[in-house]
Amino acid sequence: MAQYALVLLVALSLNFAIPRLAPGTPIDYLVPSEQVATITPEQRERVLAQFGLEKPLLEQYWLYLAGIVQGDLGYSTQQGRPVVDMLLERLPWTLVLVGGAIALSLVIGAGAGFLSAARRGGQTEVGGLVFFMFLDSMPPFWIGMLLLVLFSGYLQILPVFGALPLTGAGGGFGLTFEVAQRLLLPLLTLTLVRAGWLFLVARSSLAGELSEDYIVMAEAKGLSRRRVVGHGVRNALLPLVTAVAVEAGTVVGGATVVETVFSYPGLGRLIYESVLSRDYPVLQGAFLLLAVGVIAANLLADLLYPVIDPRVRAEGAR
Amino acid sequence: MSGTLLGRIGAATLILFVVAAVFAPVLAPYDPTLRTAQPFAAPSFAHLLGANDVGQDILSELIFASRLSLTVGIVTACLATVLGATVGVVSGYLRGPVDGVLMRGVDVILSLPFLPLMIVLAAFLGQNTTNLILVIGLLIWARPARLIRSQVLSVRESGHVQAARAMGATHGYVMIRHILPRITPLVAAQFVRTANVSIMLEASLAFLGLSDPFQKSWGAILFYANARSAFLADAWLWWVLPPGLCIAAVVVSFAFLGYALEERVDSRLRSILPASEPQKDNEAPTPVGGGTLR
Repeated sequence: MAQYALVLLVALSLNFAIPRLAPGTPIDYLVPSEQVATITPEQRERVLAQFGLEKPLLEQYWLYLAGIVQGDLGYSTQQGRPVVDMLLERLPWTLVLVGGAIALSLVIGAGAGFLSAARRGGQTEVGGLVFFMFLDSMPPFWIGMLLLVLFSGYLQILPVFGALPLTGAGGGFGLTFEVAQRLLLPLLTLTLVRAGWLFLVARSSLAGELSEDYIVMAEAKGLSRRRVVGHGVRNALLPLVTAVAVEAGTVVGGATVVETVFSYPGLGRLIYESVLSRDYPVLQGAFLLLAVGVIAANLLADLLYPVIDPRVRAEGAR
Repeated sequence: MSGTLLGRIGAATLILFVVAAVFAPVLAPYDPTLRTAQPFAAPSFAHLLGANDVGQDILSELIFASRLSLTVGIVTACLATVLGATVGVVSGYLRGPVDGVLMRGVDVILSLPFLPLMIVLAAFLGQNTTNLILVIGLLIWARPARLIRSQVLSVRESGHVQAARAMGATHGYVMIRHILPRITPLVAAQFVRTANVSIMLEASLAFLGLSDPFQKSWGAILFYANARSAFLADAWLWWVLPPGLCIAAVVVSFAFLGYALEERVDSRLRSILPASEPQKDNEAPTPVGGGTLR
C-alpha cells in the first residue's frame, strides 16, 4: 500500500515540478499559447496573483495538493473550461476501449500462448512465436491506420471518425449500434497490439510451469496430456494477472496513439489535442488521471492475488 | 528454426538499415527537405514512392529518416543500459539499505504510465532530438536495472567473487572486475531490448507530433500522413505503408536478436551458476522480445 501512495505522490510532484522546471516561466504555460508573446507586464502580474505563483514554493505545493483533493485541476487555456470536466467527459470512452482491449487480448493472446507452450517445439510453435513477435513489433498507430484503409477506405463498411454519429441517430438501439460500430476498429487495433505481448507472456509462463516437478508427477500418474497441461495452466494464469496489471500503463500508452488515429474521443485523443494546441493544464490533468488509473490497476491486482492464489494467502497468514 | 537463425536474420536486417542510414546522401535520389515533385504525386519512375503533401520525395525521406530513428534508438539504449547496469550492479552487490532505496525508485518508475509522462515532458521541454533521447532514456532504464540486479544477486555468491572479497578487494574492484564480466551477456540482451523499446517510443512520440520539426523520423512521416488523412486516398500505399514497415522491420530485428541473445544467456548462465534462484510465482515472467510500447 505504501508503495502506491509513494507512486501517487511522485506523479503529483512531477506534475507540480514540470512547469516550474521547464524552460520559460510557469506563466508561459498558463495563458493561451498565441498570447504568450503579447502579454503585458500588468497582465503578467495578474496571472501570477491569480494562480498564487508569487507565494513561496512550499505554500504553492500545499495549495496545489489541496486543490487536487477538491477536484481542482485548473482551467483549459484554450476553452476556459475546468480541466476536471473535460477529463470526466472523455474518461468513459477510454475505460470502455481499454477494458475491452484487455479482456479480448487476454482471451486471444493467452489462449494462443498456452496452446503454443503446450505443443512446444512443433511447427505451429515457431510459426506462432514469429507471428506474435511481428505483431508485437508493429506500431499500434500504424496497425490502426492500415485497418482504417481496409475497413473504411476499401470495404467502406465502417465509419472513419469519432465515437458518436455526427448527425443525431436518435437514442436507444440505433445509437448503441452506431457507437459499437465506431468502437470496433480502435478496439480491434488495441487488442491486436496487446495480444502479441500476452501471447509471449502466457507462452513463457506455461512453458516454465510445464518443466516443474508436479507436472512430471502428473505424467507419472498416467494422466492424459490434456489434464497434465490443465494442471500447468492453472498456475500459469497467475503471473498473467500481474502482467496485465503491470502493463496497464502500456495499454494506456497504446490507447493514446490508437485514439489519435481514430479520432476517438477518449483521454488519449485529448492528450493529442492539447499537445497540438499547447493546452498545458489539460495535458497535465490527463496525465495525472491516467497515472491514478494505472496505480489503481496495480493495487487491484495486489488485492486480487490472494483471492486467486491460495499460496499467497498462506504466506500472508504466517 | 532456432534462435540462432532468428538472431542472424535480425542482425542482417539491422546491418542493412545501418548501411542505408550511413550512406543516406548517396542512396537517396533527392534532398528530402526540398520540393522536388508535385504535392501528393503518385509513384513514378522519377519518384518511386511518390511525394508528400509539400512535394518532398518520400523514398528520400524514408532513407534519411532511418538516421534519426536508429540514432535515437541506439543512443537512448546506451544511456538506459549504462544507467540500468550501474543501478543493477550497485543495488544487487551492496544489498541492504542502498538496494532498498534504489529498488523502491525502480518500482515507482515502473508504475508510471510511460507514454503519457513522456508526452508531458516532451511538450514542456520543447521539441528537439536531445530532449527526446533524454526523456525516453531516463524512464526506460528501470526494467533492465531490476533484471540485472537479480542476476547480480546470484553472481555475487559464486566462489571467485567470495574469494576476491576474502582477499580484501574493494567493492568497486569486485564490481568492475568480477561482477561486470559475468553479467555482460545479460547486459547485451538488455541493450537490444531497450533499443527496441526506444525506437517504438520515439515513433509514437513523433507520431503525436512531438519530434523535432526539422528532423524527420519514420514516426514523423506518419504524423504528417495521418494529419493529411493519407489513408483515405490511394496514397496510403506509398505514404503510410513504407514508414510503418521500416519501424516494424527494425523493431522485429531487434526482437529476434534479443531472443537469440537471451537464449545464449540462459544456457550460459545455467552452465556457470550452481543453481539459479527459482522465479517467484508472483513475479510476471519476462517474455522474449515482447513489450515494446513501454
